[in-house]
Amino acid sequence: MTGFLHRALRHLGSAETASASIALCAAVALAGICFPIRTSTWMILPVALVLASLLAALAVDVRLKSQPMLYAFHVALAAFIVVIGLDRLNAMSGRVEVTEGSMFDASTVVVEAGPLHRSRLDEVRFLQGPFEIDYAPGMNRRETVSVIRIPEQGGVWREVRIGDDKPLIFGGYRFYTTHNKGFAPLLTYVSASGATQTGVLHMPSYPANENKQGLAWTPPGSAKTLKIWLHIDEPVFEKDKAWKFVKPVNTRLVVIDGEERHELEAGQSVALGTAQLRYDGLRSWMGYTIAGQDMTRWIAAAGLMACLALLGYVLSTFVNGSKMPAPEAEKGG
Amino acid sequence: MIAEIGAPLEAQLLGIAIALYLAATAHSVFSTAFRSGCQETAFVLMVAALACHTAAIGSRWGRLSHGPYVDLFEILSSNVWSLHLAAFAVFLVPRLQPALAATLPLLAVLTIWLWFTPAKDTLAPVTYATGWLPIHVALGKIFLGLATPAAGLGLVLLCRKALGASFSSMPDSGSLETDIYRLLLIAVVFQSMMLIAGAAWAQNAWARYWGWDPLESWAFVTWTATLLFLHMRPRSAAGPMLGAFFSILIFCLAFYTFFGAPFLSTAPHKGAI
Repeated sequence: MTGFLHRALRHLGSAETASASIALCAAVALAGICFPIRTSTWMILPVALVLASLLAALAVDVRLKSQPMLYAFHVALAAFIVVIGLDRLNAMSGRVEVTEGSMFDASTVVVEAGPLHRSRLDEVRFLQGPFEIDYAPGMNRRETVSVIRIPEQGGVWREVRIGDDKPLIFGGYRFYTTHNKGFAPLLTYVSASGATQTGVLHMPSYPANENKQGLAWTPPGSAKTLKIWLHIDEPVFEKDKAWKFVKPVNTRLVVIDGEERHELEAGQSVALGTAQLRYDGLRSWMGYTIAGQDMTRWIAAAGLMACLALLGYVLSTFVNGSKMPAPEAEKGG
Repeated sequence: MIAEIGAPLEAQLLGIAIALYLAATAHSVFSTAFRSGCQETAFVLMVAALACHTAAIGSRWGRLSHGPYVDLFEILSSNVWSLHLAAFAVFLVPRLQPALAATLPLLAVLTIWLWFTPAKDTLAPVTYATGWLPIHVALGKIFLGLATPAAGLGLVLLCRKALGASFSSMPDSGSLETDIYRLLLIAVVFQSMMLIAGAAWAQNAWARYWGWDPLESWAFVTWTATLLFLHMRPRSAAGPMLGAFFSILIFCLAFYTFFGAPFLSTAPHKGAI
């Protein structure tokens, strides 16, 4: 049994199996380029094969054991793969839109998470403040500064300024601002029964959808769908000049109710049958990317160890130049 | 064309550098094909070209306040510079010098491409404001700088096998294959570090260290090709031709990763900026 296991490990840890599993990884990566497949999912099997081959080689390959730096490289590479695997099982990525003046709401996050991820998003609390974005001529987005207020003990709010490359770090999650942001009309709807609700509608991302600032909206408890358009009176930007993303001052809300068309300025209301809709003013919303990864430091450490060990091996082969391995064909000749 | 470059001095310096690079290539090929194979003049022309090119890149860097890694023109320019510098350094080894004639024509493709690429003033995206980017770029240039002379040596082996060309002043094919192996062995260290530094940059910039975008996928495929060669070589019965095949394959993959995949969109890492 031991002999069989040893032979199996030798086959698994052979250069041929390693080559085949590496080639399989390359094939999956190429397939991911050519076809609409999810590369990270398809890569699991070939990477598992690489890991099995690595571990088997570490266990039984005599030539590998005789070269400490090469051995260390393969150990670090195996650790690298294991840590990345654990990271993928625990990682979470998400995206969310947060309205200016509102608290972050974990229930609105679109989440993609590994099976072992335990969400702590509901522990995250912050208030979205105003934000500014600089644009260089030619619509080149530059620095984003988003003001975030975090509640602390004693009713105190701590203010932090975050951006595309300066995340808000909260409860193990990182919140990065994105190119995705826009305007959000604040509406108050009074239904026929007298129930009042206030909320915002997030218009499509701006300026990417500069000419499509509208959406269809069904008021709460109503069967009727309205079309809502945001009309901005003054030009917000000129493409060839530098500009700053800020909320426009003069806006009107166009409400299309079947054949009827209503234009509302901030503070104005309109009767929609027996219900009422009031346009309270304009806010903005910011789109965030959320990354919940706990193991990036370990991944970096394993990767660095692998690179250093490989460097050590290369240096050792040059120091011992006479031991430079030769191909089988050359040895035979 | 060069005439469209914003700063006239940079255009003139780059024009002179391109002319000198191409003159060095022509001289190297001519002297290898028809004369003694002496490469001294080609080296002198390369030094002059590198001096002019360094001044052009330095001037642009100072004027735009960012390194040459934003658009196609800048990436071509910096790689033409770094690859000629790497070829110069590797082929200072006297016994390898005739392979300069096989390597410089590969670089001439890039040089002519650079000549016809419009130069515009660029603005570095906000996500480029990280220390990881110059590290990632420098490591990538060292990797490609080692893979290119390896491909030159591979071409020499291929010419010997396919065309019967002797390259008699060069060592035997077995020794050249060992040189390819050495170059690719050093290259894989820098290639691995380039990927790690790139992942650190991506983590900083886009909150994910790896996203399998086309550029990342091609970089991964190039890395696996190098690993495949290093694993297959000890057991291969193909002899020096294995090294020739893989050195050319790795160069082609790296060439597409550096100059093809990123420019199918308007910026490196499509969609991520």
